Amino acid sequence: MALTTERQRIQHLLRRAGFGYNASELDEYVLIGLKASVERLLSPERVDDRAADEALAGLRAKASEDRGALTAWWQMRMVLSRRPLLEKLTFYWHDHWATGIRKVNNPAFMLAQNDTIRAGALGRFSDLALAITRDPAMMVWLDSTSNIVRAPNENYARELMELFTLGEGNGYTEKDVYEAARALTGWRILQDKPTTEVRFPAATGVALTRSQHDTGIKTVLGVTGHFADETVVDIVTSRRECAEYLGRRLWQFFAVPEPTAEMVERTTRVYFESDTCVRDMLRVILTSEEMYSDAAYRWRIKSPVEYITQALRSLDLSDRAGQAMREQRVQGQVLFDPPSPAGWDWGEAWINSNTLLARANFANNITLRGKPGQTVDVAAWLRERRATGSAAAAVDAVLDLVVGGDVDAGTRALLMDHIGGPLHYDFAQASKSGALQGLLYLALTMPVAHLA
Amino acid sequence: MRVAPEDETFLDRPIDRRSLIRKGIAFVGASALVPPAYLRAVFDEHSASTADAATLPPAQRKILVVLQLAGGNDGLNTVIPVGDRNYYDARPTLAIKADTALPLDRGLALHPAMTGMKTLYNRGQLGVVLGVGYPAPNRSHFRSMDIWHSASFEERSESGWLGRLLDVTRQEQQSLWRAVNIGEEQPASLDSRSSFVPSLGSVPAYVLQTDTRFPAEGTRRTQNFVQLYARQSEALARQAAYGGQLAFVSKTGLQAYRSTVDLQKTVNEYKPRVTYPSTPLGSALLTTAQLVASTNLGTGVCYVTTGGFDTHAGQWGAQNNLLGTVSNALLAFYDDLNAQGLGEAVTTVVWTEFGRRVKENGSRGTDHGTAGPMFVVGGGVKPGLHGEQPGVGATDADGDLKFSTDFRSVYASVIAQRFGVDPKDVLGASFPTLPLFA
Repeated sequence: MALTTERQRIQHLLRRAGFGYNASELDEYVLIGLKASVERLLSPERVDDRAADEALAGLRAKASEDRGALTAWWQMRMVLSRRPLLEKLTFYWHDHWATGIRKVNNPAFMLAQNDTIRAGALGRFSDLALAITRDPAMMVWLDSTSNIVRAPNENYARELMELFTLGEGNGYTEKDVYEAARALTGWRILQDKPTTEVRFPAATGVALTRSQHDTGIKTVLGVTGHFADETVVDIVTSRRECAEYLGRRLWQFFAVPEPTAEMVERTTRVYFESDTCVRDMLRVILTSEEMYSDAAYRWRIKSPVEYITQALRSLDLSDRAGQAMREQRVQGQVLFDPPSPAGWDWGEAWINSNTLLARANFANNITLRGKPGQTVDVAAWLRERRATGSAAAAVDAVLDLVVGGDVDAGTRALLMDHIGGPLHYDFAQASKSGALQGLLYLALTMPVAHLA
Repeated sequence: MRVAPEDETFLDRPIDRRSLIRKGIAFVGASALVPPAYLRAVFDEHSASTADAATLPPAQRKILVVLQLAGGNDGLNTVIPVGDRNYYDARPTLAIKADTALPLDRGLALHPAMTGMKTLYNRGQLGVVLGVGYPAPNRSHFRSMDIWHSASFEERSESGWLGRLLDVTRQEQQSLWRAVNIGEEQPASLDSRSSFVPSLGSVPAYVLQTDTRFPAEGTRRTQNFVQLYARQSEALARQAAYGGQLAFVSKTGLQAYRSTVDLQKTVNEYKPRVTYPSTPLGSALLTTAQLVASTNLGTGVCYVTTGGFDTHAGQWGAQNNLLGTVSNALLAFYDDLNAQGLGEAVTTVVWTEFGRRVKENGSRGTDHGTAGPMFVVGGGVKPGLHGEQPGVGATDADGDLKFSTDFRSVYASVIAQRFGVDPKDVLGASFPTLPLFA
């Protein structure tokens, strides 16, 4: 299937630049059209999100103390927020600057980092890079706190170049890593609990100790001087390699598996013209022809968090906080707990017999019926959508919501058969037998539902 | 992992239409929707993915367990050169005193937390390969793991060394459970061109659940689930739709379903003879024992990963816990296997992506280094020390240990001496082997 209608393009956009859609949200975006939808996604500050904030206030209050609450808070924020691109991008950055609670061991630091990332998600990449360099969670994760003049610890400096800005082996040497580590020496964390106020891009709760800082001359990527962390970040983020590395990754995350050199060049140009502005890079991607090409369509395997979020979001299941962390774990992706500083392995690595079963069993859990907010009553949902009249109406409503109607005729026939068949369909009977619940289960679990 | 399109083993089962009809599957209605080839493959339990290949009971087979210590275990504080002054000079706060370490031979001793491994050593069930590494060591976790997983220095290797071993030893009718990853993420070592490798988190959760209030609907639902996977696999694989990902997901889903049926049938009968430590690694090794002890599953390769070895700071307590956990779990595993009569059938190989720097850093930790020891436990192992311990006083230009044995020599020894396969077919080149197995 190609993206032929505007509605299909918007569904595709919302799967990529968000976490899918529920029925009324889709109607809103379709009403304003594709172009305005992109701008709306790119301007989250213009969207009122207080309803989500209020709904999540209780979890948020516990999140800085309790890892489960922290994980559930963000999972449900993804489900409830009316700023889908901002959440999606925060999720993208969480993988980019991957930091894991298992070593940081402090939910307050992880929460503060998450706030910092969200505040800087669409802004200048160089600002975000500096904010992360001085971020307490990252400082613990990659040992910046023990990087001191007498014993430089290269961990952060290495990953800054290898994973965060330039790409492995891309235009730097071991010597650059070592010299950058020297320039980054001397930062410490002031308290166990960072202030809750976000003053992005200013650092909070950290300070430079002069006596632990290496004040000598350093040379990083050919630049020599008595500099410290700000200059290191400026040096690496002003490299062409950085613009290309970041651009390629953004094209891959949002659009196509193999961006061409010309496409990367487009984002590189904007990166430099806009002083590293991520919003401007994303606008190039989300408004490009390639974004809506056949090559961009459905090639991306949803990560577990994407799969969970899209299912809950599309079905308005706002009361799944209690199960969030367990679901993520069994499906293979726990927020705030990436496996390494390189983040998660994407693509086919998400899908194996174990994780696919976990996804199916999650779909079973949310279609068990009986707990409003946690499970879906499909009959009630169909009534709301006025889709009770025929097997075809029920199947098409469910398929439009879950997979944008993208199935072949045989699949559609099989699903109709499941709820009684086109001739013998009886809404009340299909509801009573559990078949309608089964219809949604089958839509949520079929192969195409795992692709974004 | 991508399953190569030519892998059609799963689809080539002999058909028995009558047994399908007997089992009450809606064959007539369904056949209009789904090619019969898929139905027969999925529902004919006599074509089960297990029994055909696994005729030998496990005690008569040679089974390999690979245990990965992810993060780069500090080899110098694992197999400790307690007789070497230079070691104590390099590690003012982290060095382990000779009188607390557990002596082996040649002035080397095990970390004090590794009492379980010491027991295995005393029993003659533990071999230690010293100074294992590779030329021009890479200090990136990811790159170095890639090198170990693939046994290749190519930038992007499509297969792992175990995957290629599976390719080379592949049989016409083979069990889906021939190789298993115990855990949630499949390691690149198991990437195979010919064989699907299931990942197993926990056995009880390994079923396709339905709503128990509607048993009849649940049965139909499972059948339709399988049919949807079959038809999307068939219809869209042909067009290589969606970058081939639809075919990949469909195929994995079908195999996942089959694997649940096989697994539940056999594993539940297992009775462990010891209590395993209640750690994730202890559970993983218990699951491993359940799998390898089954005649039906025919499991020949199991992969287990345990992490946390990246001890840049505060290494003392952390490594103490980590090595204790590994050592206790391995002892329980072999106590159990020995009691089941499988101690000689199951060989465990333990590796990590690199050792750590000789000199400790300023954070009472160690940074990424080079060579380190590997352990070979159980089945067929020639006990004791193998290879040469690199001198702490004879380091390379960066002050790190020079490897004395290439890790591919260890792989080659396992491949040749346990599987009787020419290592060249798996590793692409010849490497000198060690007399690791009796």
